Amino acid sequence: MTGRRAGSVERAAAYAVLTTLALLVLFPFYWMTITSFKGEEQMRSLVSMFWPRPLVTENYQQLLAKTDFAAWYGNSVFVAVTSTLVATGVGTIGAYALARLRFLGRGFMASATLITYLVPPSILFIPLYAQMRNLGLANSLAGLIAAYPSFTVPFVTWLLMGYFESIPEELEEAAMIDGATRFGAFYRVVLPLSAPGVLAAGLYAFTQAWNEFLYALVFITDGRLRTLPVGLASFITGDVYGWGYLMSGAVLTTLPVIAAYIYLQKYMVEGLTAGSVKG
Amino acid sequence: MAVPAARVGLHPAATGGPVGLRRVFGPDHRMGYLFVMPIALLVLSLVAYPFCYAIYLSMTHKLVGLPPVFVGFENYVRLTWDGFFQRAVVNSFVFTFSSVGFKLVLGVVMALVLTAPIRWRSFWTGVLLIPWVAPTVVSALNFLWIFDGSLGVLNYLLVRVLHVLPQGIGWLSEPGTAMASVVAVNIWRGFPFFGISFLAGMRAIPAELYEAAAVDGASVLQRFRHVTLPGIRNIMIIVVLLSTIWTFNDFQIVYILTKGGPGGTTMVMPVLTYETAFGAQRLGEAIAVALYLLPALAVTIMVLARYMRKGRKR
Repeated sequence: MTGRRAGSVERAAAYAVLTTLALLVLFPFYWMTITSFKGEEQMRSLVSMFWPRPLVTENYQQLLAKTDFAAWYGNSVFVAVTSTLVATGVGTIGAYALARLRFLGRGFMASATLITYLVPPSILFIPLYAQMRNLGLANSLAGLIAAYPSFTVPFVTWLLMGYFESIPEELEEAAMIDGATRFGAFYRVVLPLSAPGVLAAGLYAFTQAWNEFLYALVFITDGRLRTLPVGLASFITGDVYGWGYLMSGAVLTTLPVIAAYIYLQKYMVEGLTAGSVKG
Repeated sequence: MAVPAARVGLHPAATGGPVGLRRVFGPDHRMGYLFVMPIALLVLSLVAYPFCYAIYLSMTHKLVGLPPVFVGFENYVRLTWDGFFQRAVVNSFVFTFSSVGFKLVLGVVMALVLTAPIRWRSFWTGVLLIPWVAPTVVSALNFLWIFDGSLGVLNYLLVRVLHVLPQGIGWLSEPGTAMASVVAVNIWRGFPFFGISFLAGMRAIPAELYEAAAVDGASVLQRFRHVTLPGIRNIMIIVVLLSTIWTFNDFQIVYILTKGGPGGTTMVMPVLTYETAFGAQRLGEAIAVALYLLPALAVTIMVLARYMRKGRKR
């Protein structure tokens, strides 16, 4: 280093790269949002490309009045919330057992969970579909809720195992010396300390379930039972007017995920770096 | 406080059963098995069983709604000599390796600029992570609209604003540009994960290493090559392998942008699996497509799992 000059050159270069990357990252969302407020007339004529003129809300009105979008929204909320609760509950106790308790087969189960996390849905979706059909769960939201733990649970478990391992074991030992049972030590000592980790894991499970596409596309045949991603994709018509309400639907689909992310960014970034990869 | 001696040690008797059982199954086996049971059931019913069933189905002729007929390796043999399938394999490798390569480079760049002395670091980190948390379907639809041949904004920018093209290109509908376009979208969506992971790795490198290198007169490039890169080597291996699996099996982006077209130029294996199963209704053959490269996938998963567990133990 040659002192302050090198530092300021470095900083300027960093800002230039950051600005470029940020523009590339944000532009599609900006474009999505302004498209959703453009009228049909404006879209056809390529005038005032980068701002809606006039700014109209008819796309949103059409979307809610003339399509099943509202029903899809409900389906997505129901499926994502339910499978998040299941995944977080099952994953939390499982991760605690795999991280802390001593029992025969623990190492094997930990490996099995990790390998499960790595098996891609593209080789599971056909047999799972067949299984759901046999159980009478094809074409129902229950089928999706039954299938989503296949990816949410291993992820939550793996993420929280790392979290629990980072909590000093002495805390539990101290609690047990004071008369707590093993369960009491978990419930009263470890769990409260792990609240940020559990929150991050739950948020990721929610995001994964909210964004899931392949199973929902394959399992659901009834138009009204679709989840948002599949419903949105069904709007692709190639028609100019279609883009207006497609983009308004895209905005409404992105909102909850981005809102949660902005509000809880700290936990999610920490969870991502501590959980899925740790070097 | 008076505590019975047996309860003070590292192996509290409170949760164990008789001494013999505890010796065989471990001191915490009751609570351990109880807590792990739901995961075990899920793994068995949602992954292990379907996986075995998939292997069986791939050796049958199975039409939707009819019972399967066992045919051994016939599906695999037939696929081996099928030109369309061969092209899908090649496309999958092109798609995967070009995407992962660019994501690796962009990820390193992102991590480097985020470790530079900048203000509002967490703001920048948050912005750059957005593609990773946003719904992939939404991103794919956004790019479908941006790439649109007649009204898309990319053509508008290149033709009317920057004047670098005489006329618009059907980015996704012309064979020459379709693959590059879907790869670009995959990179856009995936590079933040590389960046945030490398960032975590770079933060963990002790500052003394950089100071020692600077004292020895190492240039910026030398410090990057001999301190930064070795420091994040393990994370790089993990992230590259993870992303290779995810990218190879990416269905949504290609399905929404091109459905494998035009003329099969972007047909990758997951989309071909779907089309064979639900377009052509040949389930057995479809699963054979999905499982064709299973040995390679299995090796990748085993290597990756080892690295991920090793990363945790430190």
